[in-house]
Amino acid sequence: MRSIFSMFARSPFKPLASHIDKVRACVDQIKPLFAAQLAGNYDEVQNISQKIIQLEYESDKIKNDIRDHMPQSIFLAVDKRDFMHLLSAQDDIADSTEDLAVILRIRQLANPPEIKEPLTQMVDHIVMSALSACDLIHELENLLEASFGGAEAEKVEKACHQLATYEWEADKKQFVFAQKLFSLGDSLSAADLLLWNEVSKKLGAVADKSEQIGKTLRIFLAK
Amino acid sequence: MDLSTILLWFGILACVYMACNIGANDVANAMGTSVGAKSLTFRQAVLVAAIAEFAGAVLVGGHVSDTVRKGMVDPNLFADMPMHLVYGMISALVAASIWLHIASSLGWPVSTTHSIVGAVVGFGFIAGGADAVHWGKVGSVVMSWIVSPVMGGLVAYGVFRFITVFILDRDDPVAQSKKLVPFMVFVVFVILAISMVYKGLKNLKLHLGFLDALTISLIVGAIAFVIAKILVQKVKAVTPSDLTQQFISTEHIFKFLQVITAFYVAFAHGANDVANAVGPLAAVVSILDTGNVDMKVQMPLWILTLGGTCIVIGLLIWGMRVMETVGKKITEITPSRGFSAEFAAATVVLVCSKLGLPISTTHTLVGSVIGVGMARGLASLNLSIIKKIVVSWFATVPFTAVLAMLFYKLFIIFLP
Repeated sequence: MRSIFSMFARSPFKPLASHIDKVRACVDQIKPLFAAQLAGNYDEVQNISQKIIQLEYESDKIKNDIRDHMPQSIFLAVDKRDFMHLLSAQDDIADSTEDLAVILRIRQLANPPEIKEPLTQMVDHIVMSALSACDLIHELENLLEASFGGAEAEKVEKACHQLATYEWEADKKQFVFAQKLFSLGDSLSAADLLLWNEVSKKLGAVADKSEQIGKTLRIFLAK
Repeated sequence: MDLSTILLWFGILACVYMACNIGANDVANAMGTSVGAKSLTFRQAVLVAAIAEFAGAVLVGGHVSDTVRKGMVDPNLFADMPMHLVYGMISALVAASIWLHIASSLGWPVSTTHSIVGAVVGFGFIAGGADAVHWGKVGSVVMSWIVSPVMGGLVAYGVFRFITVFILDRDDPVAQSKKLVPFMVFVVFVILAISMVYKGLKNLKLHLGFLDALTISLIVGAIAFVIAKILVQKVKAVTPSDLTQQFISTEHIFKFLQVITAFYVAFAHGANDVANAVGPLAAVVSILDTGNVDMKVQMPLWILTLGGTCIVIGLLIWGMRVMETVGKKITEITPSRGFSAEFAAATVVLVCSKLGLPISTTHTLVGSVIGVGMARGLASLNLSIIKKIVVSWFATVPFTAVLAMLFYKLFIIFLP
């Protein structure tokens, strides 16, 4: 058959949404993970870490599938490089979440009562940024339908703005946490201090990459 | 049976094969976007295609047939040896059929039109020398092959941008499309009607001047406008804040429109592509009837009817399965995009048909779909098809030309 329908390439936007769903599943484990850590329930920390590592592995499979099925000659409604940046940002969120899980498994990390409040605050804000980034990816379907214009574009624009604000607030919470952590000084073992600092950095990375998603979507709108 | 009867049947057979091939492959290409956008079920698509292809072939098909029959090769050179023109036209039909058969089994997106044009030019060249070929006409035909996909792309880009700016970008796309879609229906119907009645009905022995044709078309358009207006009113209003539902309802309205453009594209396809099968046969029949090469022969209605019928048969026997597969495979196109691409392709094809230019409906549609993609209407497109099409341009004409020459020589050797 002399068909021309090979030109309707499989859209990579649907797999992108499935990927973000796996990423969201990882992010959803962050709060329970820290709740278990702060409660000193190390068995539960192990369990949740395992779950996150599994979810991250599944998200990686989807990511590789998207990359492998992106032919040279494909033409997307958005710049192909921007699309790849978006995928990388999503992947980085899952990666950083996995790193968190691994760090908390290295040893039974001490929980000084002073850091409990700033840590919870930081985690809440970072999860909020990440989840709103996940929501944004699901707007892509409508955005494509609207051909990147009109009321839908305004809605996404607003949400990107909101996301940037969340990230900014998360940064502030991260600073407060770092201040508290290092004010503890010698009362914390060097290993614990080092690992808590790593935790803080990885949480910061989750927020940064979430904001990156918002920035890339704004590039889609601007073109 | 004498020789001329055998030749006649041979010509008819080749014509039937060509027409079935067109029905099986090209119709699926033309209708696939409608089925893919779920505006038509594949059974409805088959029904619409059957009616529209037949109507297009019989009502408008004559213009392009004339070009294939006598536009590119000077029949006057065969005045002394009319039978040679018969051999040549049959050679052309067989050569094009063989090429299409090869291409179909390999899945190459070659054009039926390009095949027959190459074959006719090829035999003309070997039979009468370079002087027998109207190179000017051939040049304009070849130019039209490049221009038509580009035009399809530009028109589709424009139509989709229009839809984006005036409907999708508005605060209430549903209300906006209720307002504008009836006007679009009007435009489609006027174009469709005018192409049918202006000069078209002469096949049915009805002669209408341009003004009469325009009046009739405007009346038809107005009736369609009123019906469309009534139909879109049935779509419920959606609160502007519910964006997802807005788009669902808007696309639903565009489904009405796409049903009409599906008819339009099949009509244009029938008008343009029937010629590939019946053009050479008409030349054969006229010579066998009268014994000499006559320039002013009317395209017999029975030949157009035969071509139209065989396209429909090809569609029913082989094309249906193709269309069903296509409908399941392409999910990335929505009615508003499908409408833009189909409207653009059909308009370009119909204009070219009226000008007597045999172009490729399939390639024009590819150009139109790419146009919608360039207007950010499609999530993704695989552009490797462009390379395939360009390669098919360069492969088709030489192949069918040489093959037609070969068959012609064989005829001359065995049938003096």
